[in-house]
Order: sequence, then structure tokens, then C-alpha cells
Amino acid sequence: MSGILVIAEQRRGELRPISLELVGAAIGLERAGEEVAVAILSDSPDRFVSPLSVSGVDEIVTVKTASPEFDPDAFESAVGALIAARTPDIVLAAHSVDSFGYAAALATRLGLGFATDVFKAERIDGELVATRGGYGQKVNVEVDFPGRAAVLLCIRGNVFKPPEQSAAPRVTSFEAPPVMSRSKGREFIELSAGDDVDMTAAEFILTIGRGIGEESKVPQFRELADAVGATLGCSRPIADAGWLPKSRQVGQSGKTASACKLYIAMGVSGAIQHLAGMKHVGTIVAVNTDAEASIFGVAKYGIVGDIFEVADELRKLF
Amino acid sequence: MKILVAVKQVAALDEDFEIRADGRDVEEDFLIRDLNEWDDFSLEEAVKIKEAASEPVEVVAVSVGPEEVDESLRKCLAKGADRAVRIWDAAVEGSDSIAIARILAAAAKREAPNLLFAGVQSSDQSFASTGIAVAGLLGWPHAAVVSALTYSPGAKTAVLRRELEGGLLHEVEIQCPAVLTIQLGINTPRYASLRSIKQAAAKPIEVLSLADVGLNTGAVGEAGSLSRVRRMYIPERGRAQIIEGDAAAQAARLAEIIREFKGASA
Amino acid sequence: MSRTDAVTRILFEAFGKAEVRLFYLIGYAAIAVFFYGVYVQVRKYRRGAALKLDGGLWKRLGDMVSAVLSHRTIDRRDRGAGGAHRLIFYGFMLLFAGTATITLEYDILEPLFGIRFWYGEFYLVFSLVLDVAGVALIAGLLYMMYRRGWMRLPKLDYARPDRVPGDPDFNRPQYRREDWAFLWILLIIGVTGYVLEAARLVWLQDRADIWDTRWWSPVGAAMADGLRALGLSAHAGGELRHGLWWFHGLIALALIALIPFTKVKHIFTAAASLMVRDPLAAQRLPRVPESQAEAGAAKITDFNWKQLLNLDACTKCGRCHEACPARAVGAPLSPRDVILSLREFAKATLESGEVPKAAELDIHGKAPGQVAMETLWSCRTCMACVEICPVAVEHVPIIVQMRRKLVEDGAMDPLLTKTLQTIHKTGNSFGESKRKRGSWSKALPFPVKDARKEPVDVLWFVGDYASFDPRNQKVSQLFATLLREAGVDFGILYDGESNAGNDVRRVGEEGLYEVLATANVNALSSASFKSIVTTDPHSFNTIRNEYPDFGGKYEIQHYTTLLKQSFAEGRLRVANPLKYRVTFHDPCHLGRFNKGYEAPRELLALLGCELVEMGRCRANSFCCGAGGGRIWIPDPVGAEKPAQNRIKEAAAIPGLEVYVVSCPKDLTMFEDAVKTTGNEGKFVVKELIELVREATVARTVAAVSA
Repeated sequence: MSGILVIAEQRRGELRPISLELVGAAIGLERAGEEVAVAILSDSPDRFVSPLSVSGVDEIVTVKTASPEFDPDAFESAVGALIAARTPDIVLAAHSVDSFGYAAALATRLGLGFATDVFKAERIDGELVATRGGYGQKVNVEVDFPGRAAVLLCIRGNVFKPPEQSAAPRVTSFEAPPVMSRSKGREFIELSAGDDVDMTAAEFILTIGRGIGEESKVPQFRELADAVGATLGCSRPIADAGWLPKSRQVGQSGKTASACKLYIAMGVSGAIQHLAGMKHVGTIVAVNTDAEASIFGVAKYGIVGDIFEVADELRKLF
Repeated sequence: MKILVAVKQVAALDEDFEIRADGRDVEEDFLIRDLNEWDDFSLEEAVKIKEAASEPVEVVAVSVGPEEVDESLRKCLAKGADRAVRIWDAAVEGSDSIAIARILAAAAKREAPNLLFAGVQSSDQSFASTGIAVAGLLGWPHAAVVSALTYSPGAKTAVLRRELEGGLLHEVEIQCPAVLTIQLGINTPRYASLRSIKQAAAKPIEVLSLADVGLNTGAVGEAGSLSRVRRMYIPERGRAQIIEGDAAAQAARLAEIIREFKGASA
Repeated sequence: MSRTDAVTRILFEAFGKAEVRLFYLIGYAAIAVFFYGVYVQVRKYRRGAALKLDGGLWKRLGDMVSAVLSHRTIDRRDRGAGGAHRLIFYGFMLLFAGTATITLEYDILEPLFGIRFWYGEFYLVFSLVLDVAGVALIAGLLYMMYRRGWMRLPKLDYARPDRVPGDPDFNRPQYRREDWAFLWILLIIGVTGYVLEAARLVWLQDRADIWDTRWWSPVGAAMADGLRALGLSAHAGGELRHGLWWFHGLIALALIALIPFTKVKHIFTAAASLMVRDPLAAQRLPRVPESQAEAGAAKITDFNWKQLLNLDACTKCGRCHEACPARAVGAPLSPRDVILSLREFAKATLESGEVPKAAELDIHGKAPGQVAMETLWSCRTCMACVEICPVAVEHVPIIVQMRRKLVEDGAMDPLLTKTLQTIHKTGNSFGESKRKRGSWSKALPFPVKDARKEPVDVLWFVGDYASFDPRNQKVSQLFATLLREAGVDFGILYDGESNAGNDVRRVGEEGLYEVLATANVNALSSASFKSIVTTDPHSFNTIRNEYPDFGGKYEIQHYTTLLKQSFAEGRLRVANPLKYRVTFHDPCHLGRFNKGYEAPRELLALLGCELVEMGRCRANSFCCGAGGGRIWIPDPVGAEKPAQNRIKEAAAIPGLEVYVVSCPKDLTMFEDAVKTTGNEGKFVVKELIELVREATVARTVAAVSA
């Protein structure tokens, strides 16, 4: 058993950025002499070779699948075969919606060590130790995998740094066994109904969360956002309740504030799914009545106070 | 036609919680238990299918845990589940999500449902694994993060939408019987009044042992898990610079930060 | 016999026997129709659920008679109506009694026992009294016509906020028709009575005993002179009298027959309603019996007979419509229209031979006679309607019972659903950990006793808002300081206290209320104390009036009473009198619910404040809008909130410096309203506790310079 196998992710012809973050994680884990191989599953995997050619990758393994998009049976079968053939001791996949669809089934079937939403992985006394969150991300939990020859870790996004430099790894192909798929992917549907604001392009965002209490308070913050020149965003509960269109939702299943440089979060507690969409932002200011709110853990500046009072006062200054 | 809904009673941390002496979990006293938020949605989805069906559909809630879990099962009964099943054995202690999945899969074999729902993840440990691990053990078709579902009872296929990152949906047609993990927001869970929860006490909760579902202790606990908790600790929190003063002072500092940012990007 | 001894009125004078028999036939028919109508109404009430009244029937009867005779409930907030109705009531009663007396002699005493008394002086005085009664009746009726037709009172406007134009029951022209018909018929009966009297006098002018004593019926006599002056002969007078006699008689009999079918029935239903009233109707809500399958009122027959009677007692006076704070800010609720809708529904479904199937008895919805969800959820359970109703209609329990059904069905605003789930989980509406309930006391320089662990004299039941809301936590800290200053041995229950449940019950989540009440009663019963004090009027109401039903009977005071006592006993002293010009907002659950109007005012006087009352004060205090669970339900965007309406009322007081409240929800709602109505800087909202503290702290004297 040796080597680290990374399972890259692609969707609609684009390589997902987490694929390179996984390489970054692999580099951190590899022992001397160990190789890092990245597998890419697609109906035309060759087009992803170039974006995957980064330093740290020793081998790119292309796996041709019947469907261009994710299919749980195809992936479980192909990745399972890859693991059986190549015997890596660590397999890194993304902690993503696609992985949710097959990783646990695969690990269970093959008896792999298994942990998800891992944000730290290291070897302690030769043993692989992964760290993940517990009790709603309020504690850290270190897990290990006694007696497991191989371990599958699903890695949290936006944690590990992707390698910057390009390289020229060798490219091989792997023939996945034929598989009878029991589900059939149809179309993709974009959910940007509502207004055509592009949260991913906004540089200055003011987000409101559950702390605003009721729908009648939304206009006040919309007005404040306009006054200070920010794009109004929201966390999931606000969008689910229909107080703002889904296109304004920032978070894991909403939009990522990719271009944002200044992010003001008012009445947002900082659930992990929301943080996933914004914790990378350079300057985060959190305003919340609860001094223990998770958002303060990622914010640069914190205001512990009444969001309405602060909003009122801020409005006066613009 | 039967829908099996796997539910979990999760634990949230109370104020000023403490780590247990052995360092592997939080002190029991500081745990506040409640039904997993995702399970409200998966149960509601099952009950909706039952209420819209022209033929009888039985909704069965199943959970793994000690007696206190009955409270959450009773809530499920109040919300429209017909029956509830709880499985427990002292040997289950120390199980990870995969070991739990083994028990749920054994229960599913016993119940033989047409559909099995689980939540995408639990609000406490967020493994996001249990449901799909059950599917792997049963060898059933499966789909995760289902945010919309169209299914007629007894049909050979179902059409669903997976909620992907970034607000994208992927429509999929899947063969049934299948295991689906249900996402928040797929429906609006109904309110179960306390009176209806009390009245649900009349519906029985079947309590089973490992033997009743055909498992031995080696399949559960640490032996049946794919990971083991070594250490649990309270992390160092990132420190935000707290802006002091009354609302006016705080707003003034915030305005400064905004103007700095605008100046820099001008 | 002297001439005056013999004078009397000969009944049916100059009527043929057939005529008299016809009259009696019609009379009996009218009475039969009347009794049939009564039977239909009583059968309708009996189709409601059972109810056992508490309190002795004789006492109830006495109270009712006293209320009716004094007319004090009709006087309230409308002296004009009170006065005019007295005239109508007493006028009509006397005239009716008069007729009854005549019948007594004519039909019973004389034929059976040969007793006669209606003649001579008795007869003359009798005639005078009845003439005066007739004047009173007509005067009252004329005023009522003027009031209804010309004064354009808003409360008599039948426009309803719970329907929109186009709905089949939006306009109720039949109400207006019936109102005017009633007035006119009574007026016609009264006026024709006099003309009839005058005509008879003209007819019998040649009988000295009658003509010479005619001024004992002054109005009739004056009219008789008038008629004679107009040339009416004795013979013509006789004809006139004969015709008018029948006219007057038939209308009167028709009126009697129609009593149970028209608004005239309020004579009986109002009195009966007053007799079966529950003085704690809104303060102490009924439990759901274990045996009952469904909680709440889903069908018209789920209401008990008293409630069905209440529906019929309503006289559409509009006082509740006027008093309701939800209606005042444009919400789709008028207590009057809830009652009238249900009344029409009961009439349409429960007055026929068979009771319709259950599906047709559903009172929830938007069809005619039904009550919509939005209407029920608009209610603040402030009991302004119940308190002012002259005929003791109990609107609030009806609304709450209908809400119970909505709760069972989960038909609530999502925010309310979430709050109920939060209260169930954490015992408070803030979602904070139970352990944090007493955290506000940590900021104090002295420890606050844990009443779970040691005995105390006074147990302070703090409440959710006072424990968790930052603004109210400051008030709690001040109150603790005051208690300590006053030397009161007090303690709190810390995590042992849960939300008292007052508003949870009024939302209609009776199951959750039972859980909360039971938990609190258990905690209280395990503690050792002499009395309870609370700073929260909602908790005060439910602990005082409703906890006894759950096995917890305690002596409880609102803080205003305890502080007043402390001053009276010299344990607190005013160190620097406050010279503020203030107004006081009576909190619903302390004032109207529990008649606690005086203690806060006495405190303000003690503190040296100048109190200027708002127009809507004491029993007419205007709810801040937070009650009935409304603080957990979002307000419609853009609409005025009750608290804003109230602050505008206060802002009209010139030179107002402090708007004083004594309830944590009031503090929150009104501080918000001062901002949103643009009154910031004009006056401040302060809790009475804050003023007491300010007054008892000696001003620090500037350092004496060397």
C-alpha cells in the first residue's frame, strides 16, 4: 500500500477548484518517495490534463466514463477499481455534493478508513490523523483509523492551498469496469431567478441573516446597503423564507463571494455552510448580539451589539 | 407501500460546556438533545407522499439510540409517521456513522421499504455519510442532497433534483427502491403541536436489540466503525478585533473601514 | 261612589264580541309565535357544547338585575347612549308593566276572583305615570335616531376590515334596515299610543268623569284639545280610535311575535348574557378537557351554549370595534365582526330541524359567516373588547379557541412556529440556554439568592424578556438593587424558571402551555417563600389567575404594589424628587386584566412627577400590540403598528418628558416606536423601576471645595 490518490472533480466541462486544493493537501501528507496521483473521471477526461498539470502531481490518471457528469454508480465502481488496482494508502476526495453521493458507500464496501469534512490531516507517530469539526463545529475532533490499510478522506473546501506552479506529470489511462448505472442524469438548472445580481462579482457585500427577525426589516437593510454602496446579500434562512431572492444567498449552496474584498455580516451567526461562501474575504466585519457567534471566528473586526442600532447609526453617516 | 425514514436525535452544546475526563467527548450534562433539523424535512417529505397517495402508504421512523431517543420518535409519530422503531444495545456506544449505518441497513432489510430517506447530514457531527453508507450496504440505487422529489408510490423510478454548490440543480431519474438523502428546504415541515405529540404516545415504539435485526456486537461500536475518535478539544478561536463603544461609536469606526476600502479601490 | 272613584277605562269599549275574540285569537297566535321562536333559539344554544357555570344562580341574577337597572355598562364611553337607552328602557318597561297590570286584572283577577283595582285614584296616577313613560320612550328613540342618522359615529359604521368589497357578506344592508325598522316601529307604537289616547278622549268628551280627569294623561289631553281644535268630532274620534286601536294593537303584537327573530331579542339575550358572564373570561382561559378529541373550535357546535348565547346578545353597538387596537391600525380584525359572522353562521346552520353534517359546520375560512386565519392571528388578546362590551360578550376566549384549532393544523406564521419550538426546547422565547437565565444578575455587586436552594420571603418571578433582553436586563438589575435597598429578602429561580406561558396559551398552543405551567408550578412548589413578586404583567396574570387550575395557588404581587408598600413602610425613601412631566401607559395585563391602575400612579405621585393622562388610559389603555403572541409574528410591511399609534397619542401631550411603562414588552415596543415615529429626542420611554431608582438615589453632592 503506498501512494496518495486524489479524486479530482469536474462539472459541466470545468475542473472544480477543489481538485487542486486536494493536491495541496496531498503534498502535505506525502512521505518521502511517495507519489501523488490524480484521477479524473469524465466522458472526455483528456481535456482536464492541462489544468491538472501542477507541481506536486506525479501522475494524472484519466478514466473514461459513460456520462460527462457525476453518476454515483459509475464513480463508486470506477474509484473502487482504481483503489483495488493501485492500492494507495490514502485517497483524497472533496467533501462535496458529488462525494456525498458515493464516498460513504464505497468506503463501507471496501472497508476503508473513512472521515469527512476534514480540514487538517497529518501523520502522528506514523499514524494518519484527521481533524474535523464536532457538535456544530464548536469543537475539533481528531480521528484515526486503527487497522485500516487504506483511508478515504473527504476534504473541506477553501482550506488547503492549491499549488501555484505548473508541471508536467505523466499521464496514464485506466479502464474502468463496465457498470450498469441505476440513475440517469438529465439537465442542469440554474437558480438565479429573482434578480440578476451577481454576488460572485461583488466587491463589497452587506449580508443579513436570521438576526434581522422579520421580513418587514429587510427594506431598512436594503436601503443601508444602497447608502454605503454595498451589494445586499443574505444567509440561507432569509432566502428559504423568501424574503430575498435565492440569487442573493451567500454560502455553500448559494453563491461564493469570490470577488469580495469587504464583507459586512449583520445578524449572521456563521453557520459553516455560510462561512464556506465568504470566509476567504480579506476584510470581514461581523455585527451580532451574541458574542459567541461563530462568525466572530473568521471576522477581522467584530461589533457585539444590536444590529438595528448600529444600522441606524451607520445610515446617518452616509 | 412503505417509506422508511432514518432519523437521528442530535446533541447541541449548552453554555460553558466541558470536555469529558477521557478527552474524547463532551460531558453528558452539557448536551441538549433534539430531532435533527434535516430529519424534519425527510419525514415531512415521506408524509406528503403518503397524504397525496391514493393507495395506503406506511411511513416508519427508525432511529438508533437509548431510551431518550423515544422523545424524538414521538415527535415523528405526531408529525404523521405510522410507526416508530428504535434499536439499541450498549455495544453501540462508540459507533461512527458507518457502524450506525450497519444497524439501519439491518433494520431496512427487516422492514423492506420501497424508499428509504435520511437527512443529508446531522447538525451535530455533520458526517453526511450515514444515508449513503446504508445504500452501499443494501446495494440500492442512491442519490444525495435531494432538494426536490417527484415520486408516485410503487413506481419503478423517481425524478429528483440534487442541490449542487453555487445554487445549481441537477435533475436525475433514479431507479427504485432507492436511498435518498434529503436537503433542507425541500418542503415546509408541519408543526407538531404538543397535544399531538402527547397523543402520539398512544402509537407504539418498537424497541429492538441487535439480535432482533440479525447483527452481532462485532458489527457495531468501534469494531464496526471506519474511524475512531482520538481526542476532542475546544479549538483556539480566531480573534476578531472587537470594536468597542456604543452604537454610534461602533458605526463610526465601521464607516471609517468602509471609506478606507472605497478609497483603496477608487 | 264619587266621580273620581268610578273613573276607569273600559276595555274593548264598543267592540263587538267577534272583534274581541279575534283580538284574543291574534294575541294568542302572537304569543305562540313568540314561544316557538324562543324554542328555536334555545334549541340552537343547546346544540353547543356543555358548560357548567360556577357561582350561585341567585347571586348572578342579582348582579344582572343591578347591572341592567343601573345601565352602568351602557353608560361607559357613551353617556348619550346610556341616557337615551335608560329613557327607552324605563319607558318601555313601565308601559309593558302597565299593560301587564291591566291584563292581570282583566283576564285573571277579575274573572276568577272578582278583584278589581284599576280605577279611581289608582287609575289616574297610573295613567299619568304611563304618559310620562311614553314621553321618555319617544324622547329616547328620537335621540337614538339622531345619533344613528346624523352623528355619524365611527363605531356604528358597519364597514368591516375582515372582508373586501366584492365578498358576498362585505355589505350588510340588512343590519341597517333592521336597526331603523326597530326604531321606527317603537316610535310608531309610542306615537300611535298617544293619538289613540287622544282620539278616545275626543270620542268620550261627553263623559264628565273621563273628560274632567283627562289632564291625568297630559299628552293625550293636549293632543285631544288639538284634535278638537282641528275639527275632529266625537263620532270621528270614535272611528279614529277604533282604527288606531287595531293598528296599534297589531303592530305591538307583531313586535312581540317577532322578538326572537329580530334584534328585539336582545332584551332577553343581553340580560341572559350578563347573567352568565365570567368576570375572568379573558384572564383565565379554559383548559382543554383530556377527553376532548380535538383541541379548539373547528365547528360552530364546538362552542358552548354560553358562547352561542353571547353571539345573540351582541347589539352591534360597536364599542369593541372602536376599542380594538388591531382594527385601529388596519388589521383585518374587528371583534364585532367576528361575533356577527359567527352569529350569522349559527343562525344559518343551527336553527333548522336537523343539524347539518360536520363538514358544513366549519367556521374557519373566508365564506360568509366564517372567520379567516388572518383575522384570528391579528388579535392581541388585550381584552379591550371584553372589558367594554355592555352585554358581556366574551370575544377573547372565542378567538383563542379558534386559534387552538389553527395551531393543531400548523396554520401559523413560520416565525411563530419557530418560536413555539424554541420555547419548547429551551423554555424561553429567545433560544438561549436555560443556564443563562440568571446571567443578568452576575453584573450586580451582590449575589442574588437562588430560591431553589434556600428559603426566601419574596420569590421574584423574572420572566423571559426581563432575563434575556439586554435593555430589560438593565431594568432587572435596577429592581434587584431596589429590593436590596428596601431590605426585602428575595431570590429568583434561575434555571428553574421557564416562560410563564401566558402568551403561549393565548396563541392557542395549549399543550405547550400545560408543559410550561406544570414545570413552573413544580419549581415553585419545591421552593420556600411567602409571596411572589413579578416585574412582568403577563406572568403576573397567568400565575395569579391560571396557575391555580394547575395546582399552583400563590400570593402574587406586581412590583408596583410591592414598591408602593416599601415606600409606605419607610423602607424606601425619595432622596430627590423627580419633577418630570410624565404620562403612564397602563399595561393590558396589569391594568385592564387585573384592575391594577392605582399603584403605579401612586408611585409616580410619590416620586414627585407631574402625571398627564392620555385620552385612552386605565381601562381604555391602548395595547402596545405585543400581546397574543403578536410579538412573535411579523407585522405587515408598511402598516402602522399599535405602538406607533399609541406614541403619536402621547406625542400630542405638550411638554411631555417621560413616557412611563411598567412592562418589559411595553418597554421594547415603545422604544422602537419612538424611533420609527420620529419622536426621538422629544421624550423618552422609561420603566417605572428606572424612575424609582433615580428618585431613591441621593444626588452626589459636588465636592466641597477646600
